[in-house]
Amino acid sequence: MKTSFFDIENWREIGSTLARNKTRTFLTAFGIFWGTAMLAMLFGGAQGFEGVMRRNFAGFSTNLGAAFENRRTVPYKGFNKGSGWNMTTRDIELIRQLAPAIEYSTEGDQRSGTAAYGTKTKSVGITGVESDYFKILVPVLHEGRFLNDADVASERKVAVMGKDIATSLFGNDSPIGKYVSVDGIYFLVVGVASQLSDATINRRIDECVVIPASTMRRAYNLGNTVGLFLYTAPAGHSPSDNEPIIRRIFSSAHSISPDDKNAIEFLDISEQFEMIDNLFFGISLLALFVGFGSLLAGVIGVGNIMWIVVKERTQEFGIRRAIGAKPLDITIQVLSESIMLTLVAGTLGVCFGAMVLGIADKLTYDPLLGHAGFELTFRGAITIVALFFILGSLAGTIPAIRAMRIKPIEALNDK
Amino acid sequence: MNYALSEAVISLRDINKTYPGVVPLHVLKDVSLDIHKGELVSIMGASGSGKSTLLNILGILDNYDSGSYHLDGVLIKDLSENRAAELRNRMIGFVFQSFNLINYKNALENVALPLFYQGVSRKKRNALAMEQLERMGLADRAHHLPGELSGGQKQRVAIARALVTNPSLILADEPTGALDSKTSKEVMQVFRDLNDTGMTIVIVTHDPTVGAATDRIIRIVDGRIDSSD
Repeated sequence: MKTSFFDIENWREIGSTLARNKTRTFLTAFGIFWGTAMLAMLFGGAQGFEGVMRRNFAGFSTNLGAAFENRRTVPYKGFNKGSGWNMTTRDIELIRQLAPAIEYSTEGDQRSGTAAYGTKTKSVGITGVESDYFKILVPVLHEGRFLNDADVASERKVAVMGKDIATSLFGNDSPIGKYVSVDGIYFLVVGVASQLSDATINRRIDECVVIPASTMRRAYNLGNTVGLFLYTAPAGHSPSDNEPIIRRIFSSAHSISPDDKNAIEFLDISEQFEMIDNLFFGISLLALFVGFGSLLAGVIGVGNIMWIVVKERTQEFGIRRAIGAKPLDITIQVLSESIMLTLVAGTLGVCFGAMVLGIADKLTYDPLLGHAGFELTFRGAITIVALFFILGSLAGTIPAIRAMRIKPIEALNDK
Repeated sequence: MNYALSEAVISLRDINKTYPGVVPLHVLKDVSLDIHKGELVSIMGASGSGKSTLLNILGILDNYDSGSYHLDGVLIKDLSENRAAELRNRMIGFVFQSFNLINYKNALENVALPLFYQGVSRKKRNALAMEQLERMGLADRAHHLPGELSGGQKQRVAIARALVTNPSLILADEPTGALDSKTSKEVMQVFRDLNDTGMTIVIVTHDPTVGAATDRIIRIVDGRIDSSD
């Protein structure tokens, strides 16, 4: 005799058995539905939440380091406590030659000034940088181009203008190719940019005119001094890996005591981002934990209900055994019911979860930053359904084995 | 008919059965018995005499401790659950006192169920089941649930289910126990009619009128065959 798993009668019977106890079937199915929906929503929701939060740092390198000067706090080689020092382009050259873990770097300086075009003027931040700046704090380029190495090397009077300034001075017209006065010096506008997120160092690029650092030094008679050194570390390195060599260079060049930790300020953003990563990892773990808890509750519900089904139908199984059902036939019958219930309700749950995530993704869509990531991939959906299928089957296995072990004579006498 | 010369469908030799417990209960004691093809036999005895245990052993629903049992030439001893199920399905048709129909299946589906476990196609098993329902005069009740049938109709559906696999033997356990006297007579007439077609039927009963309607009464007293007449 062949087993009855693929016989249409088996599946019709499952349908009618489930339909006979509508309330119970609905409640059990709802447990599974909710379990899978929760898992899907929490899993995709945690990703989306992370996406939304990370938008606050969009364009901001997460492995960013910065070094800048401060007053001496330890007297050294004739320099008093409280005396200042100036970072120079020579220091930057040495750092670039000797530091072990620098991917992109730029010197930077910023001051306030006034930009004017025609009769319109606006208070702006004037930022002097090198071309790598646009790889470290990646802005959105609305038109034109960013500054390049040639601009810096030739001390060109070119500028990338913040979007807010461009709008104030030019309205809807394009400023590209036009000359704008910055503190009385005319710069050719080569690009218009805005910042992706609120994360920034000093003022937002939207409110700044960004010019080559070399041009800025000349225009403002800064000599070879540098206000700030910004850099990123390559993958697998931390910005802090460069700190010892940078300290040595500054100490040696500017008579700073090796013990004076405060005279040279360091910033390692990667440490903050590591904390944020850990936070998101924790949130994801919590989401998975809660999701699996819901899933487990649903699975236990299936096991529980199948146990009741077996108890209720003991006599029926006895009749079936008496007229020729093998133990495996009974097992398949019980398992088929739990699998059917699990698959249908689980699939609906995943679909519902994916739908909710889809709505959340639409609501949080940003034209500049794109999708936040509230989504359930096809593979993720299949994984959840498969997981529920396996756990649901396992939950049904224990009652199914119990059903299989029922002796026909005992079952027939069961009241 | 000279049954002694015909083939024995059931052949029991020195069957013993004891239920273990604090005080073991020796239910069947050296029971030897032959039931031949085409016989209509009743097994009678008082409550606790061992007749139900004997029926369970005959129906391969229970094991025995010693002796031998041949059903249609097949030794029924130490069978696996699967083999026992297969033999029950192919060789024995059961009729129970409380009908034991599956209440959410209609008459046709109940009758077709043994064929389902043989792997017979749905179309064929429904055709065969309908044939048996027609034989029992219940064709017009084929799509009725057991709850919509009278006691006599339910028992005739149960008999149709017992016959659908064309078994060697019908085993009936108090088949009229839940029926009124008029319906009992009708059901017994069904058994008689079946027996006239050559079907071997064993009925366990405590009702003398049922016993009187069979060809032979096997009386069992205190676990032993007391008489066979």
